[in-house]
Amino acid sequence: MNGEAMATVEVDELVKVYAGGTRAVDGVSFAVDEGEFFGFLGPNGAGKTTTIRILATLLRPTSGRARVAGLDVGADPGAIRARIGFAMQAVAIDPLATGRESLELAGRLHRVPGAELRQRVDELLELMALADVAGRYAGTYSGGMRRRLDLASALVHRPAVLFLDEPTEGLDPQSRSALWAELRRIREAGTTMFLTTHYMEEADELCDRIAIIDRGRIVVSGTPGELKRSVGADTVELRLVGESGDGVVHAQESVARRLEGFPPLTSLERTETGVRLALVEAGSAIPELFRRLDGDGVMIRGLSMSEPTLADVFLRYTGHEIRAEEADQPIELGWWG
Amino acid sequence: MTTLAWFGLDAFYLGRRTIRRFYRVPANPVGIVLYPLIQLVVFSQLYKDIVQLPGFGGGSYLAYLAPGQIAFTAFFAVAWSGSALLSDYRIGYLDKLRIAPISRYAILAGELVPLFVECVVMAGIILILSVLLGAPIATGLLGGIGVALLGGAFGVAWAGTSFVPALVTKNEQATGTLAMLFFPVAFMSTAFVPAALMPEWLQVVNAWNPISHVIEAMRSLMTVGLEWDVLGRAVAAILLLGFVLHAVTLWAFRRLTA
Repeated sequence: MNGEAMATVEVDELVKVYAGGTRAVDGVSFAVDEGEFFGFLGPNGAGKTTTIRILATLLRPTSGRARVAGLDVGADPGAIRARIGFAMQAVAIDPLATGRESLELAGRLHRVPGAELRQRVDELLELMALADVAGRYAGTYSGGMRRRLDLASALVHRPAVLFLDEPTEGLDPQSRSALWAELRRIREAGTTMFLTTHYMEEADELCDRIAIIDRGRIVVSGTPGELKRSVGADTVELRLVGESGDGVVHAQESVARRLEGFPPLTSLERTETGVRLALVEAGSAIPELFRRLDGDGVMIRGLSMSEPTLADVFLRYTGHEIRAEEADQPIELGWWG
Repeated sequence: MTTLAWFGLDAFYLGRRTIRRFYRVPANPVGIVLYPLIQLVVFSQLYKDIVQLPGFGGGSYLAYLAPGQIAFTAFFAVAWSGSALLSDYRIGYLDKLRIAPISRYAILAGELVPLFVECVVMAGIILILSVLLGAPIATGLLGGIGVALLGGAFGVAWAGTSFVPALVTKNEQATGTLAMLFFPVAFMSTAFVPAALMPEWLQVVNAWNPISHVIEAMRSLMTVGLEWDVLGRAVAAILLLGFVLHAVTLWAFRRLTA
């Protein structure tokens, strides 16, 4: 419309204040384009889950506006529900239903017609590698299988927007990368994806664009590359041996001399075994780095490289470390709790 | 399709899950039948001669005892019925249902309607066992169906004592606090002795005891015949009990899913 790409999710000055007075979301605005993979990155308690629950029509905002698939969350929750899928942080599966039954129920409640439903369920079971256990109670499934079943049940009705709240929380690394591959496939099929995570690696791996959220506010947003570049340089550590046996000190001097005026280099620090370099976009600077160091006097015994972490990005934009988790979960004690 | 048809269909699919959840744990149906059956067999022997007291009007004590045990069966079938919804709430399954494009009341109907089926079947089993043990069934097969249906309706109404604390407290342990009310209320009813043998004050209480009215109607169908006034009082008691308890259930459910 108007020649512009329509935003699938549009959030404007969203505020959520809980009954106890907690401002979980404090004036958040952003937009997610159709087909985009967008991520909310932030620590526990930052307001990620509250925002995603508002967008999924489970919570009402205190003020502000939120639209999903062109519909207002307050005015049209029913129509939004037909168009979204939501994989929640805690995997919610019925332990006494089989995998197939769970997916069929999800499909029925989303009005998927019978003939199409059978085909769709088979397809999803195959896709999520659950076909072999489709007839067993979901209570017998492993953690990874539960996640995949939960995700499958959010996909039965082919939602236009998929919400994922910490989708790989508690998964082992192997299951995690398998799930990432799955999410990429879903996205390639044209689904708009909205993800929350506190794993930098996850946001980096999956998202086109991320917003860092802290204490209910978006502090910065951009592509993962932009955010990391904005933090500054990657760290490259070189372990050195001196070629002529003069020891590390000679080699360190050699490196320092040869890297004088090397544009990506922002700092050089001597370590016990070699040097620690701060390089902007180290990944693409390393070939040139090696060309400069090639020659007499420098022998590289080892190299390690690390990108800025969530901690670095977070610290840069919020001015504080990711704070410790808080004991603020609700507990129900009964009649007078 | 109309909204109402969708509602019915959604409640059906959700109800099917509720039924499966019930019978896939064999301890559910077995436990529900076992306790009333033990009472029926043991008490009918233990208090065999109690029927010689004035007020019983003859017959066997088994015949007197059976209707109360059928009502007990319905109670056992619903005693913890609210905890399933609470568990769904806890694990986030209720949220998952809430973001489906269905009426949230279909979720509640999907819990309550199957209880009726469960209670009818469980009460029916105890009824059949009672008859096999020698209890009369004056109104025959149709009357027997009526007894089971009364058990089902009473069960659904009484289920409010489990749903209300479950939804209000959202605590598993607190869910049982009202259900146990059944025991004093049942033992004050005419399940074991007729009203004529009660002290005067208890007779007054008994006149307002919904369980007594349900048991009296079952007893009338089993030992006397079709007495519309007795049956009517039971239906009225069930409706009143169900209305009061489930008005609170509805309020608590709305609050939980707001």
